[in-house]
Amino acid sequence: MSRVRTPFLWLARIAVAAIFLGACIAKIRDPELFALAVNRYRILPGEFVNLVAIVLPWIELTSGLAVLAAPARLRAAGALIIAGMLGVFTIAISLNLLRGIEASCGCFSTRADAAVSDGWNLVRNGALIWLSLAVFLDAFRRAFPRPPPATP
Amino acid sequence: MIPGAATVRRGDTLRMAGACAALLAVAAGLGTAVNFLRPAATRLPWVGDWQHHVETKAFRAGIPVVFLAGARERTEDPATMVFDARVPEQYEAGHLPGARNLPVGEVDRRLGALASVLTPETPILTYCGGSDCADALELAEKLREYGFQDLTLYPGGYAEWTEYGGAVHAGSEP
Repeated sequence: MSRVRTPFLWLARIAVAAIFLGACIAKIRDPELFALAVNRYRILPGEFVNLVAIVLPWIELTSGLAVLAAPARLRAAGALIIAGMLGVFTIAISLNLLRGIEASCGCFSTRADAAVSDGWNLVRNGALIWLSLAVFLDAFRRAFPRPPPATP
Repeated sequence: MIPGAATVRRGDTLRMAGACAALLAVAAGLGTAVNFLRPAATRLPWVGDWQHHVETKAFRAGIPVVFLAGARERTEDPATMVFDARVPEQYEAGHLPGARNLPVGEVDRRLGALASVLTPETPILTYCGGSDCADALELAEKLREYGFQDLTLYPGGYAEWTEYGGAVHAGSEP
């Protein structure tokens, strides 16, 4: 079992970390364009758009690094934060799709010619949530091992 | 249920929450510091004026917005009428392929001449210079007052179109 589980968890960690470390680059490089992408979701009040644009890419960076290289407790925290972010992104993209807003998700590129969001983004996010939760559960068990059951 | 297990789990949850808070605090600190250290031209203010952004105004006005991909699609669709809301001099210097010039102030005068090619159901795309101009939105709102129903705004406008290598036509003809 662990012969399959260990490489799977390593691959999951690398995949989740690589995607989030890759995703934060364009957002950090051009926060103004990322703020525009955030505003296009029409979810946040205008007052919070820039705050999210300034901080969110760095949450992606620190969480991605934690998933890749941190000890178990921080790794679990990074994976949990990533799963939470993915959940929020999925809801936001779904709302845009439902409202017929033909916008890019702003996930990996802030360029105007980035691909417009579609159902594929939701499938991809679902898979990433699954992977990050697998990383979280493994890291959580390692960080907080259960005491062996008391023998009568 | 083992009596001690709930206590352990609660403690684990608190430690987990602490680790999450630590990561978030580091991220917030880095984001703030890097934004502070950026050159003034690229530094993002903590609170932006998004309420007056043309896309926000269009959303509030109920005018659908498309971005570059949507604008490309519509300019290639012969059924869509594309209106350039800029002044004639700018239009003649270069405009989106197939676009007709219709500045907001000229709608009352020029719309009659377009009656033969326009119906209330004709899909219409409006644009102007870029995201810092509101003429295209005003044009879309004005056209809606005239009864046109299928209106779409391209807020990126001519600036974004040319920045991303879109074809342009010069002169007074579409």
